[in-house]
Amino acid sequence: MGNYITTVAVNIAVFSLLALSLNIIIGYAGQSMMGHAAFFGIGAYTAAILTNKGISFWLALLASLIVSGALGAILGIISLRLRDDFLAITTIGINFVMVALFQNMKFFGGSLGMAVKPLTMFGKKATPMHFLIMLLILIFLVCMLIRKMNSSWFGLALASLRGDEGAAQSFGVNTNQYKILAFIIGTSIAGLTGGVYAHRMTFIFSSSFAFIVSISIISMVVVGGVGTIRGPLVGAILLGAAPELLRFADDYRMILYGGVIVLMMRFQPQGLLGENSFLMNKFNQYINPLLKRKGGEFNA
Amino acid sequence: MLLQQILNGIMIGSVYALTAMGATLIYGILRILDIANAGAYVAGAYFGWFIYLKTGNLVLAFLFSMMITGLIGVLIHRFIYAPILSKPRILPIVPLVASVGLFTLTGDLARLIAGPGTKAYNVDFGVDVINIGKLTVVPAWILIIVLTALLFTVLWLVLNKTKLGLAWRATAEDADIAKAVGINTNSAMALSYILGYGFAAAAGIMVGILYNSITPALGEVPSYKMLSIIVLGGLGSPVGTVIAGLFIGMVETMLSAYNLTFIPKDSVAFIVLILVLLIKPSGLISKTNNI
Amino acid sequence: MREIVKVEGLKMYFGGLKAIDNLDMSIYEHETLGIIGPNGAGKTTLFNTICGVYKPTGGKVIFNGQEVQGSPPYEIARKGIARTFQISKPLHDLTILDNVIAASGIHEYTGIRSFFKKSHTKEVLEKVHAILELVGLSHIADKKAREVSLGYLRRLEIARVLATDPQLIMLDEPCAGLSNYAINEITELILKLKSQGKTIVLIEHNLPITMKVCDRILVLNYGQKIAEGTPEEVQHNKKVIEAYLGEEDED
Ligand SMILES: Nc1ncnc2c1ncn2[C@@H]1O[C@H](COP(=O)(O)OP(=O)(O)OP(=O)(O)O)[C@@H](O)[C@H]1O
Ligand SMILES: [Mg+2]
Repeated sequence: MGNYITTVAVNIAVFSLLALSLNIIIGYAGQSMMGHAAFFGIGAYTAAILTNKGISFWLALLASLIVSGALGAILGIISLRLRDDFLAITTIGINFVMVALFQNMKFFGGSLGMAVKPLTMFGKKATPMHFLIMLLILIFLVCMLIRKMNSSWFGLALASLRGDEGAAQSFGVNTNQYKILAFIIGTSIAGLTGGVYAHRMTFIFSSSFAFIVSISIISMVVVGGVGTIRGPLVGAILLGAAPELLRFADDYRMILYGGVIVLMMRFQPQGLLGENSFLMNKFNQYINPLLKRKGGEFNA
Repeated sequence: MLLQQILNGIMIGSVYALTAMGATLIYGILRILDIANAGAYVAGAYFGWFIYLKTGNLVLAFLFSMMITGLIGVLIHRFIYAPILSKPRILPIVPLVASVGLFTLTGDLARLIAGPGTKAYNVDFGVDVINIGKLTVVPAWILIIVLTALLFTVLWLVLNKTKLGLAWRATAEDADIAKAVGINTNSAMALSYILGYGFAAAAGIMVGILYNSITPALGEVPSYKMLSIIVLGGLGSPVGTVIAGLFIGMVETMLSAYNLTFIPKDSVAFIVLILVLLIKPSGLISKTNNI
Repeated sequence: MREIVKVEGLKMYFGGLKAIDNLDMSIYEHETLGIIGPNGAGKTTLFNTICGVYKPTGGKVIFNGQEVQGSPPYEIARKGIARTFQISKPLHDLTILDNVIAASGIHEYTGIRSFFKKSHTKEVLEKVHAILELVGLSHIADKKAREVSLGYLRRLEIARVLATDPQLIMLDEPCAGLSNYAINEITELILKLKSQGKTIVLIEHNLPITMKVCDRILVLNYGQKIAEGTPEEVQHNKKVIEAYLGEEDED
C-alpha cells in the first residue's frame, strides 16, 4: 500500500473508532454528547505525557483509557442533573475549555503543541502500517464489544433509557447508572484512540481536538446511521475519504460538508444506512431476500 | 480605570446580548438550539459591509442587512427546520447538527463569495475619540449601546404591545395550547426568525465597525458563546438573555483588564456556564418565557 | 385478606398545591381496587408517589411490611409494584416484542454485569410470547412501537407490567381515549387478570367499567379521600355525587 493511502486509511480508522464510540453515547444511550473530541484529546495528551516520561506505550494506552473514562464518568454524573439541551451545551463547553487548557498550559506543551516520543515496534520505529493494523484490530474489538452489548440486557437497558427514562425505570432500569456507564465506555474508547493517535502523529496540537472535530465525528455517526455498527464505519469512510477525493475541489470542501449535513438531517436523519433509511429499505427489499435464499444470513 | 472598564463591559455585553437574542427567540418557540444564528451574524456583517460600500449610508446598511438576513431566516425555518421538527425525532440533537451544518455553510459561502481575506469596515464618524473627563469613548461604542437599547426597546414593544408579540408569548408558553385556541403559531415562528436573524445581522455589523474588520471566521466565537449566554439567561427568556449577555461581557472585560486571565477570555463564558449549571441545573434565571 | 400496601398520612405537595393531602389507604391481596375522582384529583400523583417517581412530602408507603417511600422507581419496580402510564410511554424505536422483553428483564439490569448476559434467550422469548398472546399483541409483535395505534400501546403497557411478574398491578386509565370496542377488550383483559388472582389498582374515569370490575372503590378529590367502599356504597355516597356534579360548590 502506498504511503499516502496508508496515511488516509489510518485517519479513517481513527475516526471510525471515534464514531463507533460516540455512537454508544448518542446512538445507543441517546445522550446529547457534543464534545467527544475533548476525550480524544485527553487520551492523546495522557499517553503522550506518559511515554515522554519513559513509561511504556502499552501502559500509557491503558492510562489514556482510564483517564478519559474517569473524566467521562464525571461528565456522566454531571449529565444526570442536566436536561438534554443543557447537556449538549455543557459538552460543547467542555470541549472548548479542554482545548483552551491544552493550548494555554505549559504542561500540555502550550500553543506550540507537544512532541511525542516515537513508538518503536520490533526494534524499529513504528510505521503507519503498524498503526493501521493496530487500529484495525481495535476497530474489530470495538465492533465485537458493541455486538455483544446489543445482544445483552445491557443493550436493552440503553435502548430503554434512550426510548423513555420513565418507562425504563418502571421496569427496573437504574437509568442513572446506565447513563454513566455509557459515558464511561464511549469516552474511554475515545481516549484509547487518542493514545494511539498521539503516537502515530508524534506531534499533537490542541486544534486536533477542537469542537469542529467533535462535529466531524457527530456528522460521521449521523450520516452513516445512528444506533448501528455499520453506520459510523460507513460514515467515517465516506467523510474521511471525501476530503481526499475532493482535493480537486478544495475550495468547496466545507460547503459540501455543511451541505451534506443539512440535507441529511433534513431528508434522512436516521443516516444513509440507519434503520428505515432509504438505502436500507431498498436493501431489505431486494438484496436481503437473495442472500437469505442462498442460506446466508445478513447481519451487520 | 473602573468606569472605563464598566463602559467597555456594557458595550461588549450589549453585542453579546444582541447576538444571542435570536437564539433565545428561536429557542422560546421551537425549543431548538440554533447555532446557525451565528451564521446570520456573519451574513449580516457581509451584507452590511457591501451595502455601506455601495451607498455610504450606514442606516441603509443596517436596515437592509437586517431585512435580508431576517428573510433568509424565515426561509431557513420554512424549508429546513420546520420539516425536521415535524418528523419524529431520531435523536434530540438532529436540529442542532443541522444548524451546525448551516453555520459551516454560511461561513464558507462568505469566504467563497467575498474572498477569504479581511475586509475593512471603515465607517467615518467624524471624530476618532470623545473624551469626557478621564473617560475615553469611541463613537462606535455610542452607536452600539444606543442602537442595542433601541432594538431591545423595539423588541419589548413588539413582544408586549402587539398581537404578534402576544402570539409569540403564547406559543412560547405552550405551543399546543396556543394552537388549540387559534393563535397563529406560524407567524410567531416567522417573527422569531425575522427578529432573531435581523438582530444577529445588526450585531455582526456592529462588531465589524467596532474592530474595523470582518472575516469569514467572524462567527466562530459567537457561535458557541451565544449558547452559553442563552442558557445562562434561562433558555427562552429575552430579559434573561440581556442580563446574561451583559454579565458575560462584564466578566470578560474585568478579567482581562485586571490581568486575571489564566484562561483565554473566550472560554470564560463556558466556565461560568458550567459552574452555574453545576450549582443550578436549570440555568441562572430558570423561569422561561418571562418577558 | 393480607394487606400488601399500606399508605399512611401520605402527602405530596407541589409548592402550595396539595396534590395528595394526608391520605390513608390499604390495598389487599387479590383485590381489585378502583380509584376514581374528578380531573386533577391527584390519582396519577398517588401512583407516582407510591411508585417512587416523586418523593412524598410526608407520610409512609408500606409494601409487604417494608417502608418504601422515597426509594427510586426502579427499586420499587423490582420489589414488585408495576404500573402503566396514563400517557403511554412506549420505547418507540423498539418492536412490541422487544418492549416487553425489556420489561421482563427487570431483575437483569445489574449494571456492568448485564453486559455478559444474553437477553433474547429461549425462556425469555417463550414467556414474552405467552404474555403477548394473553394481551392480544402477538400478531404485531414485530412492529415498531411507533407504528401501532393507541389501543395497542395501552395493551403494550399492560404487557410490560405483566412481564415484570408483579405482586401489585397499577393501571392508570387504561381505557382513556379508546373506542367502545377497544374498551371492552381491555375490560375483558382486566377481568381475566382478576380471575387469575392478581392484585390490581385501577384508575378509571369510566364509572360503569369501574363498577363492573372493582371489588372496592376509593374516591379522591383535591388530594383527599372522600369515600371508600363497595361500588354500591360509593355510588350512593353524597360527597361523591357532590364532587362529581358540583365541583364549584366544593370551595
Ligand atoms: N409534577 C407536578 N408538578 C406540579 N403540579 C403537579 C405535578 N403533577 C401533578 N400536579 C398537579 O397535581 C394535581 C393532581 O394531578 P394528577 O395528575 O394527579 O390528577 P389526576 O387525578 O390524575 O387527574 P386526571 O384525571 O386528569 O388524570 C393537579 O392539579 C396537577 O396539576
Ligand atoms: Mg391522571
